[in-house]
Amino acid sequence: MTQDAIAADRSSVATGDVLYSIRDLSVEYGTRAGEVAAVDRVSLDIRKGEILGLVGESGCGKSTLGKAMMRMISPPGRITQGELWFAGEDLMTVSEAQMREIRGARLGMVFQDPMTSLNPLSKIVDHLTETITTHEPSVSEAAARDRAEQLIGRLGLRVERIDDYPHQFSGGMRQRIMIALALALRADLVIADEPTTALDVIVEAQFLDLLRELRAEFDLTIIMITHNIGVVAEVADRVAVMYAGRMAELGSVDEVFLDTKHPYGQGLLRAVPNIELDGSDLYQMEGAPPNLLHTPSGCPFHPRCPHVMPICSEREPAFAEVTPGHRASCWLFQEHDGEGER
Amino acid sequence: MVFGVPAALALLWVFIRGSEALRRYILTRIALTLPMVLILVSVVFFVLRVMPGDVVSSTLGPKASEEVRENIIESLGLDDPLIVQYFKFLGDVVTLDLGDSFIGARRPIVDELGERLPATLELIIPAAIVALGTGLLFGTFAAVRRKRTADYGLRLYSVIVYSMPIFWLGLLLRLVFSVWLGWTPIAGRIDVVANTTLERTTNLLTVDSIISGNWSALLSVLHHMILPTLTLGLVLSGVFIRLTRINVIETLQEDYVISARARGIRERVVTYSYALKNAMIPVVTVIGLQVAILLAGAVLTETVFNWPGMGRYLIQRISARDFQAVQSTVAVFAMFVALISLAVDVIYSVLDPRVKY
Amino acid sequence: MTDHENLETPAPAQVADWELELQKVGFVRRVLRARKWYRADWWFVVISSLMVVGFLIIAIWPQWFAPHDPLEQVGPRLLSPGELPESEVLILPEDSPFGGIADFTRDERIPVAVMLDTPSSEAARDEAERVTDEIAASGGEGRIRLQIMRFESIEETLDAVVSGEATAAVASSKTFAAAAAGYPTLRNAGGVSSEAQDTTSFILGTNQVGQDVLSRLIWGARIAIIIGFSAAIASFVLGVPLGLIAGFAGGKLDRLMTLVMDSIYAFPGLILAIAITAVLGPSIVNIIVAIAVLYIPTYYRIVRGQTLSAKEELYVEAAKSLGARSRVILGRYIFPNVIPSVAVIFSVNVADAILTGAGLSFLGLGLPLDTPDWGIDLARGQEFIRSAWWLITFPGLAVMLIVLAFTMMGEGLVEIFNPKLRDR
Repeated sequence: MTQDAIAADRSSVATGDVLYSIRDLSVEYGTRAGEVAAVDRVSLDIRKGEILGLVGESGCGKSTLGKAMMRMISPPGRITQGELWFAGEDLMTVSEAQMREIRGARLGMVFQDPMTSLNPLSKIVDHLTETITTHEPSVSEAAARDRAEQLIGRLGLRVERIDDYPHQFSGGMRQRIMIALALALRADLVIADEPTTALDVIVEAQFLDLLRELRAEFDLTIIMITHNIGVVAEVADRVAVMYAGRMAELGSVDEVFLDTKHPYGQGLLRAVPNIELDGSDLYQMEGAPPNLLHTPSGCPFHPRCPHVMPICSEREPAFAEVTPGHRASCWLFQEHDGEGER
Repeated sequence: MVFGVPAALALLWVFIRGSEALRRYILTRIALTLPMVLILVSVVFFVLRVMPGDVVSSTLGPKASEEVRENIIESLGLDDPLIVQYFKFLGDVVTLDLGDSFIGARRPIVDELGERLPATLELIIPAAIVALGTGLLFGTFAAVRRKRTADYGLRLYSVIVYSMPIFWLGLLLRLVFSVWLGWTPIAGRIDVVANTTLERTTNLLTVDSIISGNWSALLSVLHHMILPTLTLGLVLSGVFIRLTRINVIETLQEDYVISARARGIRERVVTYSYALKNAMIPVVTVIGLQVAILLAGAVLTETVFNWPGMGRYLIQRISARDFQAVQSTVAVFAMFVALISLAVDVIYSVLDPRVKY
Repeated sequence: MTDHENLETPAPAQVADWELELQKVGFVRRVLRARKWYRADWWFVVISSLMVVGFLIIAIWPQWFAPHDPLEQVGPRLLSPGELPESEVLILPEDSPFGGIADFTRDERIPVAVMLDTPSSEAARDEAERVTDEIAASGGEGRIRLQIMRFESIEETLDAVVSGEATAAVASSKTFAAAAAGYPTLRNAGGVSSEAQDTTSFILGTNQVGQDVLSRLIWGARIAIIIGFSAAIASFVLGVPLGLIAGFAGGKLDRLMTLVMDSIYAFPGLILAIAITAVLGPSIVNIIVAIAVLYIPTYYRIVRGQTLSAKEELYVEAAKSLGARSRVILGRYIFPNVIPSVAVIFSVNVADAILTGAGLSFLGLGLPLDTPDWGIDLARGQEFIRSAWWLITFPGLAVMLIVLAFTMMGEGLVEIFNPKLRDR
């Protein structure tokens, strides 16, 4: 992270519409072969009320970033540096007990597989009331149940099914229940980790509609972690692209999709199947995602980059603004001395 | 005759309290248990008959006169064809008419077993509770403390306990607590004095003494129960610790545990209410198989502690060469195993809402 | 580019590495590299294998290790571990010129003090006579004549030596040891009798008939190993083909066999073994038969399951479509695939068989009564629980150690062959 990039980020904090601010965050996993930086010095601001899409290939660190935002990295992983500013507090300095109170109450998370994310031995209502009474001990069991019923009704499920067990619901319904759990205490920010991957296309569309409605109704901020560009294009306001644990590009949906700066982002978009193209035109990006144990020097994308320059393998580009609000970490848009000696 | 009381009572309770669907499930399950009992009893019969031993010689000893031999062969029906003997035996088992004991007062074997079974129950039920209790508690503890000293210690404990001959553990406990420290009685179920005052109705001495309000007898009974129960329970606890540990470790990595943590549920609740509860389902399934080990262990424990249960009855009848009683006792053991596996299945279906019935 | 796998582990390549390599290497390299690749606790295997080898050596050549014949009475009854047996000893003043009874060759009678009603006087006279005879036989001069003085108590006896009334005293070693503190000027000059047999101690003591506990333990290893291995091999030899046939044939035969096997499996094994040995009568062969019957289902179940899945494999399908005969398919294609998973449970099976065998002989079934067997020793020792703790301690310890060794080795092998189960 270069100085000017940090300064730019700070300026957006100053505008006051930032809900969650990640500063220079690194997460490492200890493996037998050495330390692996799953998230490498990432900075990102999430604005209040937006839906931010976080995209990238498998293993690029996007899910790890989501978990780190909840401070839920478990060994052998650990957060090695960085700050997590949420509502005026650095979550890295908060005690585990306080963190537990924030989780569920103000930060919600929805996981990829709705089939396995609910306790098979508990009724739906128990999931909800347990969450409510854990965070608000003063609420009575009956009042909690009332709230649970309202919530379930709002999410389009039949209220009388609240006493059923998870296995009696379909995947789409369970994912709604997961949302209900995140909303039970009116969380400000919901981190949805691949929420639609396990759903079929029609259910996915319904689910995305629901998310948009809920955002308006509950004043939600949503981070949508996905590898599905289509989903992001449909619901997100802004898009962040990750590559090899680092931020590659960030901007509004229009900026990123119509005026893609980073060559990786370009490749990613061209690789999305499109009905208008016929199959032979489908672009195949060269090479494979880097082994994070041996991340390439300089820009991690340079071995696969069609526009590679000498400097790319020598120095890492900053994550700097290309146009206001649109950032990319690529030497193509940054000044350098051309030879890349220093 | 008191027969499988707790299992039957639990079944009855579930049957009455349960839904229509559950009731139908239990009936189906009972229908499925019958062939298992049949197979077990048949296996017992054929294993004993097909084996190249001479039943009569081992019953009478080699020195019996020809006349006595023929008498016995006739009275036991051993001169009938095997298939006739088999169906006669099945009939006897179904009607619980197992014949008379060969020795002593020649009482019906069913009556004698009826007195012994409660003693065995009073040994294995508390032992199962000890084993399951320590297993769930320490297994969860080891899972939470995974790869730390406590985990390795408990792992070593369960391997050692598994390798210990149960009768040796019994003898050691007896040596230390009864002989050296004098804290516990050497053997038996009850004091001689308390025995004379206790009125026996169910032959479950704890129940009897509570019913009759005979507190000194209850104390004596409990005092006598400590070592045998502990012996049997500890030997089995190793298996349960390991089982619980594996399953809790697995459930702790399940998505619903992670998502519960993401909802800010307390770690203690996550461990016990989410992980342990889910882990218990496979553990309960395995109890059905552990019953076999429990009963085998009971035979040895009863021998060490002079506990007048079915196992010791079996051994006594073998040394008395009372073949009829041996065969019947083994058949009763078989029915007992089948009954418990039925009960375990029903408990499983109650525990796990996902089971369709 | 759109990927559909759920891949959130940071370095998936690491996992695949050893799994791929694992499929290529043989047994020895697997054992040696297990630790490096997937942190298998292979010291587990090493220690337990050493123990197993130790037990095997002892079982094959017990005569090398056993100090005594396990069936002979070699010492006094119920001698505790390390304890010296009671013997008659000569007690002399510190400044006595004599070293032992053999030095008493004087013309006059030597006064020797003993306690009333003890075998001391007899022991002293016997030894004196023996020495005299020896001298006469070798053509020498001189004889020993003792003047036995009898006293009421050990104190009076020893006082007589201190006061010079008697030249020496003869008393049992224990009696003297109890009183010795009060007589610093007297010393124990060693056993009266030169037939030294009962002056040695026994490391683990002796049992109720004077047999050496250690020697019986060592010979007991042979019985345990014979029972364990024979039973495990027998059930292996029967269970594996049955499982192969049932799994391969399927249909009614399979269902019937599985039902029977499951029933035996669910039944308390020891009780079945008890019933079988009760019918067969006591002998080591019968005990092996009884135990082997119990463990057939263990092999049957595993082999059947593996056969069922192997049957679906492509190479088996291919062989079938080429018209290979069932026997060939079973022997050449399925059997080799089934063997590894069966082999690793063999070791645990041996341990179980030893444990069951010990249980049977503890119950007095299966083995002739004086066999040097751990179960029998425990059963016989429990009568003496009040007086001889060592009789019930060591045989049980031996059973536990041998079972522990085989179990640990089996588990270690499972860990090396099925690394995915290593956290179990």
